[in-house]
Amino acid sequence: MNAIGQPSSQPGHNIEGGFDVERIRQDFPILSRQIHGKPLVYFDSGASAQKPRAVIDAMTEVLENQYTNVHRGAHYLSQTLTDRYEGVRETIARFINAPSENQIVITRNTTEAINLVAATYGRKFLGKGDGVLVSAMEHHANIVPWQMLRDEKGIELKVAPIDDAGVLDLDAYAALLDGNTKLVAITHCSNVLGTMLPAAEIVGLAHERGIPVLLDGSQAVVHGTVDVQALDADFYVFTGHKLYGPNAIGVLYGKAELLAQMPPYQGGGDMIATVTFEKTTYQEPPYRFEAGTPPIVEAIGLGAAIDYVSAIGMEAIAAHERLLLAYATERLMALPDIQLFGTAPEKAAILSFIQQGIHPFDTAATLDRAGVAVRVGQHCAEPLMARLGVDGTVRASLAMYNTTYEIDTMIKALERARTLFG
Amino acid sequence: MTIAAENLAQYNEYVEALDMLDEESRFEYIIDIGKRADKVPFPADCMDDAHLMHGCMSKVWIIHTREDDRHKFQGASDAIIVKGLVSMMTGSFSGLTSAELASVSLDHVRGLNLGALTMQRQVGMMAMLKHMQKLSLQAARAEAAD
Repeated sequence: MNAIGQPSSQPGHNIEGGFDVERIRQDFPILSRQIHGKPLVYFDSGASAQKPRAVIDAMTEVLENQYTNVHRGAHYLSQTLTDRYEGVRETIARFINAPSENQIVITRNTTEAINLVAATYGRKFLGKGDGVLVSAMEHHANIVPWQMLRDEKGIELKVAPIDDAGVLDLDAYAALLDGNTKLVAITHCSNVLGTMLPAAEIVGLAHERGIPVLLDGSQAVVHGTVDVQALDADFYVFTGHKLYGPNAIGVLYGKAELLAQMPPYQGGGDMIATVTFEKTTYQEPPYRFEAGTPPIVEAIGLGAAIDYVSAIGMEAIAAHERLLLAYATERLMALPDIQLFGTAPEKAAILSFIQQGIHPFDTAATLDRAGVAVRVGQHCAEPLMARLGVDGTVRASLAMYNTTYEIDTMIKALERARTLFG
Repeated sequence: MTIAAENLAQYNEYVEALDMLDEESRFEYIIDIGKRADKVPFPADCMDDAHLMHGCMSKVWIIHTREDDRHKFQGASDAIIVKGLVSMMTGSFSGLTSAELASVSLDHVRGLNLGALTMQRQVGMMAMLKHMQKLSLQAARAEAAD
């Protein structure tokens, strides 16, 4: 076991806090490849996580042996794959402790899930002058759909502020709930700062005023256990590809009574009950919101990803990531030139920073030369960058397969960047 | 359109220099060019929206001037590597005629052999080239309208 401050001296000896990270790394084929002649250090999981063999194999197996379209196919392949596809809905429901799989809507990604809520719930229940409350640290995916609704319906977009550490100002949030606020749409974990928001408290304060809450769980669902019933979330959205699953599949959870009242999102096959040229009737949720052939293979992949992380245990993953975060924070702050953004007491293993006097792009390019993959720029959160007073940051987003040794590699590359650009 | 060899002297110099270097050295070579670019200061008042090439990861400004039918460019960026890349582009293709500039293509960018750098930067250099070509065309149109 590596205590904080005692980095592993070499790869292959990273059983950290009882978490056998080396065994887990062996499940991810890409982690054995080299970049620019150096072992890949993948610190961009916040953008998209790598895929374990279990996900790759599950998707390949469907394509090779089971593939067909799902729903209403009167043949063996369709019936068996439909069972498997619908089984994933149950897997997702269990994963976030949803009361029923019928409250799990399959989307393309988080962005589509939020757009779906804006276009259905928003269009039906929000009108001129009604407020939608977001935070100052939202991803564009939880800003722009509401701005589009603002332009269409005349709603007001309200923004709850954060402090310099990246913590939501709960008093200001509570004050903003009063008046015209009719919906809260807020991140559960900042994709830039790593801040874990007090979701249950946020929901509780809103519910005291009868206001429903949508939680953007894109990052949060990856870093710990999510229980939508304990949170009492009205909507909870996340994406598959950050959760070690494939891209092009996302999830919208909604309370049954809300989903039942919402009109369809898109029209087409699968979402209808009956169609004549005069009149069409729609399916019940979740199918009402799933027009067209769904992402079948991707759903199987997401199911495999959830099974994979569940077998390891979200609490064990969270504990390992806490160790990584503490170690990375300590090593970064020991460098003389690092400005770290996001120092909330409750945060996920996401580190946004700049090297003083060095452009983030130059830092990231130097890290890339060392095989360290990070993200640079505004991370789809331009308003947050404006709040922080920077044009962009370097973001290292860690995952269950990362090690303290890899953090050491990043630190060495940052020292080289100082030599090259300082 | 064939570009006169003497008009591509700087470009050819870059190609030859980069050709002799390994990946890591190319990376440091670009940084050196970026650092040396400051020897010809970019006018501070041109670091404005009018001269900005919009990009996500770093800012790039390009000034275009014209003498007779020769186009001249000067570039800057807030990132040193990007400053190196834009300096290579503006240095390589300054002094070309309108017709020559229009015939500069992706092949020329590929000819710099910056495969060691990421696709993003390759695409970035193509975007720089297209921006330079657009600036020259805009200048020609503005002149024709006068």
